[in-house]
Amino acid sequence: MRTKSLLCLAAVLAVCLTLVSGGMTQAKAGEPYNLGAALAITGTGALYCQDGVDAIKLAVEEINAKGGFLGQHPIKLYIRDTHTKPDSAVRATRDLILRDKVRTVLGTYSSACAVAIKPVCLEYKVLHIPAISNSEGITLTNFSPYTYQVVPNSYMQAKAVVLGVAALAKKKGWKTFATIASDYEWGRSTQQNTVALLKQLAPDLKLIKEFWPPLGETQFTSYITAIMAQKPDFVLGSIASKDNVAWMKQAKAYGFFKKIPYPGSLISVTELILQAKTLDRGLVGLCRAPFFAHMNVPMMANFVAAFKKKYNRYPSDWAVMEYDAVYGLKQGIEKAKSIDSTKVKDALKGATIDTTRGKLYFRDIDNQLSCSSYLGVVADDPKYPFPIYHDLVEVKGPDSWRPEKEIIAARAAKKK
Amino acid sequence: MELSLLLAQALSGLSRGMMLFLIASGLSLIFGVMNILNFAHATLWLVGAYACYTFWFILQDHSFAIWLAIPLAALSVGLVGWIIEVLLIRRVYERELPEQLLLTYAMVLILGDLIKITWGVEDKLITRPALLAEPVFIAGVPIDSYFIFVIAVGFAVFFALWWFLKKTRFGHIVRAAVFSREMVGALGIPIPMIYTGVFVMGIFIAGLAGAIQGPVGSVTLGMDMAIVIQAFCVVIIGGFGSLLGTLVSSIIVGEVYAFAILFWPGGALALIFILTAMVLIVRPWGLFGTPLRA
Repeated sequence: MRTKSLLCLAAVLAVCLTLVSGGMTQAKAGEPYNLGAALAITGTGALYCQDGVDAIKLAVEEINAKGGFLGQHPIKLYIRDTHTKPDSAVRATRDLILRDKVRTVLGTYSSACAVAIKPVCLEYKVLHIPAISNSEGITLTNFSPYTYQVVPNSYMQAKAVVLGVAALAKKKGWKTFATIASDYEWGRSTQQNTVALLKQLAPDLKLIKEFWPPLGETQFTSYITAIMAQKPDFVLGSIASKDNVAWMKQAKAYGFFKKIPYPGSLISVTELILQAKTLDRGLVGLCRAPFFAHMNVPMMANFVAAFKKKYNRYPSDWAVMEYDAVYGLKQGIEKAKSIDSTKVKDALKGATIDTTRGKLYFRDIDNQLSCSSYLGVVADDPKYPFPIYHDLVEVKGPDSWRPEKEIIAARAAKKK
Repeated sequence: MELSLLLAQALSGLSRGMMLFLIASGLSLIFGVMNILNFAHATLWLVGAYACYTFWFILQDHSFAIWLAIPLAALSVGLVGWIIEVLLIRRVYERELPEQLLLTYAMVLILGDLIKITWGVEDKLITRPALLAEPVFIAGVPIDSYFIFVIAVGFAVFFALWWFLKKTRFGHIVRAAVFSREMVGALGIPIPMIYTGVFVMGIFIAGLAGAIQGPVGSVTLGMDMAIVIQAFCVVIIGGFGSLLGTLVSSIIVGEVYAFAILFWPGGALALIFILTAMVLIVRPWGLFGTPLRA
């Protein structure tokens, strides 16, 4: 009898414990959703990240106005400065996870930062959504199921450039080219992907010299004259943010763009706005998410109007993608019917989401969003106080991303 | 390779060197006279760039905007330098080098935050004056006309400093203080006043250099950290306290960097550091410095 009573008590305790532990992982209604953003508030990437931060804040405000995620989890936003440095990004991410208890980390500028924080997010089972940094290395190898990329990666951008450049080279009879790319993860990976793809599509083109200015370079004069000395038929560039501003400004002052074609370099909406007066019209540029390409999508039109109303300026590519990151997360949570990161991660697998750039989906093998890259000719437009892209070519994600068999091979090679 | 292309590379190296000279000359002067290793020098250079943006922004409707903004920015930074000297620096003259470094590094962080509070985190863009927007051609080689201006200012600062140190009484006292501050003090000359004057002058030149840097690219947080190490390399190679040494080493560093980019692009920065290390090993007082100073 006594033994029977003890068994009953143990069973009741076990049931209670199960219920309690179940309750611990189940978020309660009204529990805030701690959302982290690890972005470059200072350092080289600050130019792009400010817009990203503002877009995240706007999205958070909009969602919170409706009660938060699932209408019952108001978002608490925590923003940390990565200083555009990987070690600092890792510290910021650990702080976000351990101190601020965030469930998702949005980020980052500098792919080196994204690559550095990926394993930290994986370790703590926290979602990681890079929306600015786009090295393919973030999703190609050392794959993390918790990392979802909402920006066209460096391979996709390179493929888009290569398609355009190969056609131009054929048309203009170009034979030689040089490259200039910032000497860090993104610059290297973009340059390597571009050169490799160009070799496949236009094997006759010869790369005569590579230039690698350090990240944070302020004076490009010696690079400009050195490139001009090589007399290439064209130059491919992979320089971003404030380095890109300095490079464009100084190269223009040398008459560089009038002498040597410079097709397909990154000229995001930030550069279009910031250098509205000085940017050479007729340049063929590349960007990642220009709002003016999708003004027919209601979500984009609404976002642009809200952003303009709140901040009195137009959103850049970086703002568009960070905004999509927050709304992508929202849709993942709604699909999972939970704010538990592991469940949201599973819900986002292969999911199709509504974005400002239209309906897009995450590819199963690498969690890369099927977003487009955009090439166009810089030209004035009466609708905007800055130049935009005319003759815009949208290269769709599925037409530009790396074939799955190559990803499998790259991962197998990495394991060896 | 064509001679004109080598000339273009040499000129770009010279412009880079002159920009470094403008930053390093003040650093060298301050260390040479006061024995203060001012780690915040490049941050004050950055303050100069931001101040230039502010004055340019206020005056931008006028054609003379940048020409007035540059000296105003330099003067403002000189004033900041004076405040820093009076409030902080003069308290650590007799302290050990690590303590001075800690103080000036703390200033880097404080000034960095003050910049953030004052100007925000967005990059600032200064439009170049129309006069310096187009390239000029030397022997058929295009050169950024703004860098011709930079080279001219660099040499002007060098000659002005040379004249000041060699031809004026205050300059003679400063030079004497480089070798023996005790002796200068024994002659009844107020050393603190000399120090304040030298510090303000060095920071004024840093502000001038920062203001001139403004229109080169965008003005942004963190620029100072990218340049400070190269400025120290210049001062080490040239010799602390030597004006001629700073000029020559700036040109050497600029030219080595420029030609390395042409012939060995991957190793340009490494060469500068190798050069610095070699000087430190073979001639620790620098090419034009003197081993006499304790």
